[in-house]
Amino acid sequence: MFDRVVRLGALLTVLFILGPLVVIIGASFTTTPFVAFPPQGFTLDWYRQLMGKPDFLRSFLDSVLLGVATTAGAALVGIPAAIGLQHSGVRGRAALRSFVLAPLTLPTIVTGVALLQFYYAIDLDAPLAGLLAGHMLVTIPFYVRTVGAALISLDPSLQEAAESLGAGVLRTHLRVTLPAIAPSIFAATTFVFITSFDQVTISVFLSSPDLMPLPIRIYNYIEFAVDPMVAAISTVLILLSFAIVAVMQRLLGLDRAFIGGGN
Amino acid sequence: MAGTGTAAPIDARHKGPKGAPGSLAAYWAMILPVVVFYLLFLAWPYLALLAMSLYRFNSTTLYTPTFTLENYISVLGDGFYISLLGSTVLLGLGVTLATLLLGYPLAMAIVRARPRMKAFLLIVSLSPLLVNLVVRTYAWLVLLGDKGIINAWLMSLGAIAEPLPINNNFVAVSLGLVHVTLPLMIISLVGIMERIDPSLLEAAESLGAGPWRILSRVHFQLCLPGVGTGSLLVFCSAISAFVTPRLLGGNRFSTISTVIYEKFMFSLNWPLGATLVFLLLAINFAVIAIHGRLFREH
Repeated sequence: MFDRVVRLGALLTVLFILGPLVVIIGASFTTTPFVAFPPQGFTLDWYRQLMGKPDFLRSFLDSVLLGVATTAGAALVGIPAAIGLQHSGVRGRAALRSFVLAPLTLPTIVTGVALLQFYYAIDLDAPLAGLLAGHMLVTIPFYVRTVGAALISLDPSLQEAAESLGAGVLRTHLRVTLPAIAPSIFAATTFVFITSFDQVTISVFLSSPDLMPLPIRIYNYIEFAVDPMVAAISTVLILLSFAIVAVMQRLLGLDRAFIGGGN
Repeated sequence: MAGTGTAAPIDARHKGPKGAPGSLAAYWAMILPVVVFYLLFLAWPYLALLAMSLYRFNSTTLYTPTFTLENYISVLGDGFYISLLGSTVLLGLGVTLATLLLGYPLAMAIVRARPRMKAFLLIVSLSPLLVNLVVRTYAWLVLLGDKGIINAWLMSLGAIAEPLPINNNFVAVSLGLVHVTLPLMIISLVGIMERIDPSLLEAAESLGAGPWRILSRVHFQLCLPGVGTGSLLVFCSAISAFVTPRLLGGNRFSTISTVIYEKFMFSLNWPLGATLVFLLLAINFAVIAIHGRLFREH
């Protein structure tokens, strides 16, 4: 009896989690002009219509560009910071670390409006740079946390050996430390790209009609219309995320990837 | 440690992880970019926002830079904002309770399952995290809307003649937020349940306790730290969420976050919006402090 109740509860939760996603995927194939589930008939028209929307396509490319730039920027700033914060000679490491991880605790909407009025005050007229800084702010902590965790489990004698053989700090880390923690860096990179690509709350305050990442394009669209074309683009995004995870699973193993993801 | 004995000129420069002053400077140089970046794009904007909350609203120039506490006084003395605060906190509590009730049995099933089933259930539990927030919210919009799927089903079954007003209200926003935050609760619960010593549960059973009694008196008690962490994460995400309440609440249900958005993007009363931001931050920090007090000994 008890076990049955637990199993039933678990099943209901699974249905609650998957239900809406299944509805979206199903509804993207409906022949009706409105969202219907189960779908009526089968058509790929909504996907075809999506291809004919240049603004959605451009937003997709903008999101990819922004995601790549964010990943590169956050890695360049975050990975050295994680290595530096690991060094016992650095004073006030704990305080610095909490400072660097702060964007994870601060509500994203607050960071969004803070940047919005800051850019207005300094008269920044560079939408890409503005969005990039916002995205980096919320992704640098992932690198610091993941790389930091990997460094703790790294055998310190590796670095000592390299240094005692006469390698400088830079050389030691480029040739010894980084290759040793490559899987964690790879996992963090994937996670950072997805986070940037999916970012909504900060982007909503910083986008302009000229530069509108895909999630914001969809957001603006569904504020006024709920038609099956959005179901089609949502399906594309759902499949894309699962494809990325599947690739990670093949290359890394999922448990490692999720640990790397920091959750 | 390094470079003892054979003191070649090269390794005299680097003496192990504690390092020479030169190498310490290199580590500081690695940290410097992140500090500069954060001072510029985090500390400065937040301080400017704090200043904004003390400015006076001005409809032509956005704000007048004179320091005053009148925004805080007017927000805390206004019935509208007090009830907004109340409904936001209530939303947070409702969502937290719902994720706990839904997540607990699933977390138990995950911990008990065999490896393959466990991997499957974990992927299912975490999958919402991989799906774009707008897409997840859109799914609920599709289900709950006036012309949505649930209403269409009920009308085609003849159960109702007019669409049920299940959209743009507290329940709709709660459902969307539960879906969005559930993974946070499940991860916290699985994390703690994995660490429970099964012999404690066996001991309770051998002493004659039934499964429900074991659940409430032993299992749940042992899980409390995980329940605390999960609740903290879910509550703070729920009250600070903006996309889901905005899309599912429409014009009829507001939270502090959606009003902040409205003040910054439409009515352009930035000083008042900034004041609400610090009200939101205050709730967040209060909850973190309460959590810290409750779970200090764990």
